Amino acid sequence: MVQNKIQNYIHKLSETLFNELQGDEQLSLFLHSEESSFYRFNRSLVRQNSHVQQHELAIQFYKEERILKNCINLTLNLELDLKTALDIMDNSRQQALLMDKNPQFVKIKNNGHSSVIKKSTYPSDEQIPQIVHELFSDTDLAGLWCSGPLRQVSINSEGQFHFFETDFFFFDYSLYNGPLAAKGYYSENQFDLNTFNQQAQFTKNKLKLLSKPLQKISKGQYKVYLEPMAMAEILWSMGWSTLSQSQFNKGHAPLKKLKEKLSLFSSKVNFTENFELGMTPEFNSLGELSLPHIKLIENGHLNTLLISTATAQEYKLETNFADPKESPRSLELGAGQLQTDQVLQKLDTGLYLSNLHYINYSDIQSARITGMTRFASFWVEKGEIIGPIQDLRFDESLYNIFGPNLIDLTTERSTFVDIGTYQKRSLGVLKTPGALINNFNFTL
Amino acid sequence: MQTQSLSSALRNQFEYFFEQQFNIYKNEADFVAFKLITETTRDLTVRNGKPDQIYSSYDFGLLIEIMHNGHIGYSSTCELTPEGIRDAFFKAKKITTLSSAHALTQFDFSVRPKAQGRYISQRTKNLDSITTAEIFDFLKKTSEKLKINDQIVNASSDAMIVDCNQKYLSSQGSHFEQDFNIIISAFSATAQDGSETQTRSLHGGRAICYQIGSEFFNLEKILPQCEQTGLEAIELLTAMNCPTDTVDLILAPDQMLLQIHESIGHPLELDRILGDERNFAGWSFVQPNDFGQLQYGSKIMNVIFDPEQTHEMSSYLFDEVGNKAQKQYLIKEGILQAGLGSLESQYRSKKVFGHQIQGVANSRASSWNRPPIDRMANINLEGGQQTLDNMIASVENGAIMFANRSWSIDDYRRKFQFGCEYGKLIKNGKITHTIKNPNYHGVTVPFWNSLKSLSSTQTIETYGSPYCGKGEPSQIIRVGHSSPYALFNQVEIFGG
Repeated sequence: MVQNKIQNYIHKLSETLFNELQGDEQLSLFLHSEESSFYRFNRSLVRQNSHVQQHELAIQFYKEERILKNCINLTLNLELDLKTALDIMDNSRQQALLMDKNPQFVKIKNNGHSSVIKKSTYPSDEQIPQIVHELFSDTDLAGLWCSGPLRQVSINSEGQFHFFETDFFFFDYSLYNGPLAAKGYYSENQFDLNTFNQQAQFTKNKLKLLSKPLQKISKGQYKVYLEPMAMAEILWSMGWSTLSQSQFNKGHAPLKKLKEKLSLFSSKVNFTENFELGMTPEFNSLGELSLPHIKLIENGHLNTLLISTATAQEYKLETNFADPKESPRSLELGAGQLQTDQVLQKLDTGLYLSNLHYINYSDIQSARITGMTRFASFWVEKGEIIGPIQDLRFDESLYNIFGPNLIDLTTERSTFVDIGTYQKRSLGVLKTPGALINNFNFTL
Repeated sequence: MQTQSLSSALRNQFEYFFEQQFNIYKNEADFVAFKLITETTRDLTVRNGKPDQIYSSYDFGLLIEIMHNGHIGYSSTCELTPEGIRDAFFKAKKITTLSSAHALTQFDFSVRPKAQGRYISQRTKNLDSITTAEIFDFLKKTSEKLKINDQIVNASSDAMIVDCNQKYLSSQGSHFEQDFNIIISAFSATAQDGSETQTRSLHGGRAICYQIGSEFFNLEKILPQCEQTGLEAIELLTAMNCPTDTVDLILAPDQMLLQIHESIGHPLELDRILGDERNFAGWSFVQPNDFGQLQYGSKIMNVIFDPEQTHEMSSYLFDEVGNKAQKQYLIKEGILQAGLGSLESQYRSKKVFGHQIQGVANSRASSWNRPPIDRMANINLEGGQQTLDNMIASVENGAIMFANRSWSIDDYRRKFQFGCEYGKLIKNGKITHTIKNPNYHGVTVPFWNSLKSLSSTQTIETYGSPYCGKGEPSQIIRVGHSSPYALFNQVEIFGG
């Protein structure tokens, strides 16, 4: 069993490293290990196939209120990896006392033991190109298939050991009719060819809607419906730093008015870090365990930001065991009352937006974000889709999107696994409804 | 053991083994290449004079390229053992062989030329001549200098010190090595007064990027600049908001870097034009027939791909498939000349569009675990004739903006909106008020055609970014951009 191979290996390696600690020194290890298959498609054919075998070990060294973090790749040659890791520990020991004490220093402790292994089923690497080509040979597809096991292990010198393995896949793609496109996405625990086929057909049908006459919409304020995938773009962008207590204290504080109750979100808005979504480890990269639910925003009021142990130590707050990066790992936006089949009728006249793109703060203090509409987005009149729109730039405040302009959220919600693959595969999940919003501001 | 000598030890350890392993597999497919990357990074942040992050990484691994029936596939591993490399090789071979039945393109060997040579980035002192504790001390002093008074709630200094070595061997006879010493740093101050918060940094977030040695750490030079940065953060607290207006706009080189990157670099990437990026980073408004035809900007606009600039972050001798890197005009006198396309993209352009689009040597990967794709390297705007003073004097109603803080552009690279940290209004040829929250937006081709004047070559400043993202699976890459000050006619500006 591969997981036993990795488990046994990290046990052996860590035992030797922990035995080398001196005095009050402590060590925290975090392993990210993946065996990933990637297929990149263009025109429904394989542009590039690649396979990655990657084992990245973070070694955090604690000594006399100093913290030095190191990271190495494991070759799985124990002698070689031990030599590298011991050299790093020795180097850290020498350098640590030449630097000042860290105001975020907290001694590590044993946060217990756990082992979670999640299995998925999906086609073998050999089958992917054929399946995709056959299903999409009648259209122009660009996208990425990603699959394979991914493991995270947190182990420390105080006796802690947490192991998590998942084996998820996703197929993130878009279909094209000239310059117009419809977005598709498929990720389940068990790959089912019929469901995959149905979702492909749904995306193909959406693409057909794009053949209606192109609508040129002037800049201005419009009523909009944001599909869950468009809402997911806003929520992912908020994950970067908006919900972080540390960033808040450093002056990056778009939710300052919400925190100080100078401005409120709609009572319909509930943000929860919900580990019961079950797609991510419950432990963070230090092996700390959060409560299953952290209610960040409840009925429009900010309860708490994400607070790591380090931030709590520095600013004398209570930690909620957020990851040191203080990004949400399993974020959920609560459902509303709007039935999905009522969306067009309730929108009446306005913009139906499937996706948003390249969101960034244009003014942090007023929580104003800017970005673009993308993929299948339509002009709707009296509940009827008139035609696709030319992409528009928006510039709008989160206080309007989630505040008085929010009409309702849908009852139905969609779950999106984090498809991030920068440097290594990300582990994260987000669950969100769609949203009907008044007076959304488009500027270009 | 010092960080850098540990890096050298790792590199030496794998070097002989790498060649030995390549020789075992080099005849096992139509084409085989091995690329070994060893990269050591020290990334330190000091905040308010105290350590925030002291981080070192030792990244190494092998990328294996296989060609079967003209299709190229990849496998990569950090298991640098005979067993690990064997598994990776046969995985690459099996999957590439199967995928070749559904391949987008059948390449020939021209996309993997024979390349031999060695590149060593320019430095006076090697990076291993400075200890982590010495870097910490440098950052501590600069952080303390940024904190002018208690209104500065966050005074942050950071430095990323990268020592990267690439070795490439191929069955075409390629054998080359490239060795990069790189430093990326940032110095920023955030000032707060009641509900007002403003951040000012030295040229924006991590824009100070060079191929350089440890001579970079020059306190005498940097401390006055940090002090000025702190003062400007405080100045912004009481500055007027940028007005909503349509004015003549001067962009400083530390904002031009972003303007060049987003509205010239990305739309000219041939793999985008060929559709590879449509699902993620996006497509491009540039059409195949635009090359040699499109008036991209005004006649004073000359843009080069220049991997030969000493100290600019993305200089190199070969791209990562062995194509010799040379300076080349992308836009000359405003007319689009060439795309940012590798040998693969140039080959594909001929098959898809019926004529080969001129490209450059830009097939690059973020590391050993990602395949090479079309990337920017150093994309630079050439200088003009004006002094900055004369440029300001020529503006009746305008603004000047410095240092990027916000960026967004559509997936075809047409409609952009960018924000800066710091600005000044210009009335009747004179600087008047400092403005906070300066933003502007525009549409790429009309915007570049409104380019009215450029400051002289002597005023050119060089920056870069370590975080250019694209690709599926995704990759970040280091890019360099240099530019003079640039004056644009009638741009829509607005504030917070």
